[in-house]
Amino acid sequence: MWRKVLVFMVMGILASAIFAAPITIQFWHAMGGTDRIQLLQNLANEFMQQNPDIKVEVQYTGSYSDTMTKMIAAVRAGNPPDLVMIYDIGTQMMIDSGAIIPIQNMINKDPSFDINTLVSASRGYYTVGGKLYSMPFNSSNPVIFYNKTLFEKAGLDPNNPPTTFEEFIADAQKLTVKDANGNTIQYGFTFGSGEPLAWFFEQFMAVQNALLLNNNNGRDGRATKAVFANDAGLRIFNFFNDMVQNGWAINAGPGWDNARQIFISQRAAMLITSTSDVNMMIKASQSGNFSLGVMFLPHPAGVPYGGVIVGGASLWMVDTKNTQREEATWKFLKFLESVDAQIEWSTGTGYFPVNKNSIIKLLYEGYYAKNPLYLVTVLQLLMSNVTPATSGGATGAFPQIRTAVDNAFAKMFTKAMTPQQALQWAQDQANQAIANYNSLY
Amino acid sequence: MLRKIFPYLLLVPTFLIVVIFIYYPAFQTFKLSFYKMSPFGNRLFFTGFGNFWSLFTSGQYIQSAYTTLIFVVVTVTVGLTISLFLALLLNQKVPGIGIFRTLIFAPYAVSPAVAGTLWAFLLSPVAGYVSYLFLIIFKAQPQWLTTYPLALIAVMIATIWKNLGFNIIFFLAGLQSIPKSYYEAATIDGANAFRTLFKITIPLLSPITFYLIVMNVTFTAFSAFATIDVMTQGGPANTTSTLIYKLYQDGFVNFNTGFASAESVVLILIMAVFTYFYFKFGQKAVFYQ
Repeated sequence: MWRKVLVFMVMGILASAIFAAPITIQFWHAMGGTDRIQLLQNLANEFMQQNPDIKVEVQYTGSYSDTMTKMIAAVRAGNPPDLVMIYDIGTQMMIDSGAIIPIQNMINKDPSFDINTLVSASRGYYTVGGKLYSMPFNSSNPVIFYNKTLFEKAGLDPNNPPTTFEEFIADAQKLTVKDANGNTIQYGFTFGSGEPLAWFFEQFMAVQNALLLNNNNGRDGRATKAVFANDAGLRIFNFFNDMVQNGWAINAGPGWDNARQIFISQRAAMLITSTSDVNMMIKASQSGNFSLGVMFLPHPAGVPYGGVIVGGASLWMVDTKNTQREEATWKFLKFLESVDAQIEWSTGTGYFPVNKNSIIKLLYEGYYAKNPLYLVTVLQLLMSNVTPATSGGATGAFPQIRTAVDNAFAKMFTKAMTPQQALQWAQDQANQAIANYNSLY
Repeated sequence: MLRKIFPYLLLVPTFLIVVIFIYYPAFQTFKLSFYKMSPFGNRLFFTGFGNFWSLFTSGQYIQSAYTTLIFVVVTVTVGLTISLFLALLLNQKVPGIGIFRTLIFAPYAVSPAVAGTLWAFLLSPVAGYVSYLFLIIFKAQPQWLTTYPLALIAVMIATIWKNLGFNIIFFLAGLQSIPKSYYEAATIDGANAFRTLFKITIPLLSPITFYLIVMNVTFTAFSAFATIDVMTQGGPANTTSTLIYKLYQDGFVNFNTGFASAESVVLILIMAVFTYFYFKFGQKAVFYQ
């Protein structure tokens, strides 16, 4: 009798130990900088406090392309994380990977999650063929920061920034200052080349409601051709080329940092960069003692306004064939999308909330009244029309297309090609890359 | 019996490491260079020499090879000349020479990525110090990182600066091992400074010079990657994209694994040829005392 009780007790203890053992899930992200790494860790800690049976291991895995590289290596080695942050242009590659669970599948199973709380533009970007594949998380888009102090000095109204390409170019000219020897000491406008420039090109296409790829930007079926070498594309190439060749804009060199540095040191009056820089820019304007403004992307006069494309990254659920872990991951995802988590994330970074209710709550609390610049960044996205053009292109050849577009800009800036030739060249390169990628599927 | 096997047993650990970390990946690279593969490896097609064919018919690859050649030749020649000159100066007996030597060697301790960042800041248009100096002295505003050939020159300057310390230390060691008696004899015979430099110093430095050429070619061809990535990202329009940088872009940015493998195979072949000539002619071309 006692022996039986003892056996039961031992079994009971063992069983509870097994069931209580926390489920461990791995989360890989690409948000560098101590602030952002700590912010994500804090979010995970909060979640673990609410769910003691789940342990989230948060891992910073380098830049977007580093994270993609590590993800590929991990999938091929059969040891992928449960949740991974993948950049916008990796979307089609992830869909084709055969290693993921579409978020839509989880949403369909779980009535407690309301898909309509997601900001439509963010949701649109990660929806391909009518299915939401990944969870929007750190969403951003480009805006133009401008130096109101320099606007005043140039005799421009700082509260009436340009809205069209034509006004923008005219203002850039007025904001350019030369010294006695004819050397430029202040430029009207600056931008980073490389990947950022190619991204800006995509955005200005969406601003004109023009497609980048056929089959409705690859949303209705696999994209087979690039379609950006048209009037819309040419207007963008001319826009940049006019300002650069006339010396009203300065190409700051590859990446984001060089352009930021030029703007912060007040050597340029306007800067195109990501909305996620808003925190950094506000701090820089305070220490640099100038007044900062944010404006929407300008559009060519007479062309109907489309909107902007969501950039940044989203969270992908990996097919681990382990239901327990998948459910834990889904729980964590729901937590990350919750009103408060999104507020914590967006106010700490400058990425905007992807949960509509977070935006409403921030508005009611007076956050946007105190921080009007944040409102501009969110408004630009909310005011965009959701069309195939503003949903952005989906193709696995996207990294190569970006390189091709950036190279085309460089060929144009160095006068090796006319804007028309450069644009056509970029499209030919893009078509080759798309054909090459599609030949695999 | 055991005596025969024993040495081989001792070699097993090394052999295992070499096989796992060198031969196996190399074999995989060779294999993949004949395949077309999706980024995640779930699609794999045999294409024969297809990757190599598109490699050599693509203008960009040939351009990269050409860029690499110019980059390596100029960087190594100019770099070694400056280093030799500085080493000759640092070989003088001047008070405080130790401090100068230390200062000159310092750049070598900096990582290539940091060197790139430093130079990118210095050369930044309008906001950089070098650009500012150019404006004051020459009244010009060269756009270092976004125009050709300035971007290539900028990367060369950064690479030369980075390798300077390494080269100078070796040249100094070489200079100090040349016996004083040679110079004394030359002075007695009435040779001037130039003659002693070209007839004694440079020939006697040839073993060191040869070693430095080999090391520098390897450095510049293979390790300048980080500098390029930070400063120009291969731009403008691929004009600073060396073979290694192109390989990185195709493999880790575009995820074109098969194509990138073919590029690695080409690099392995280039290295094989280089190594062959090194062993064949290396010893003969050098004048030992």
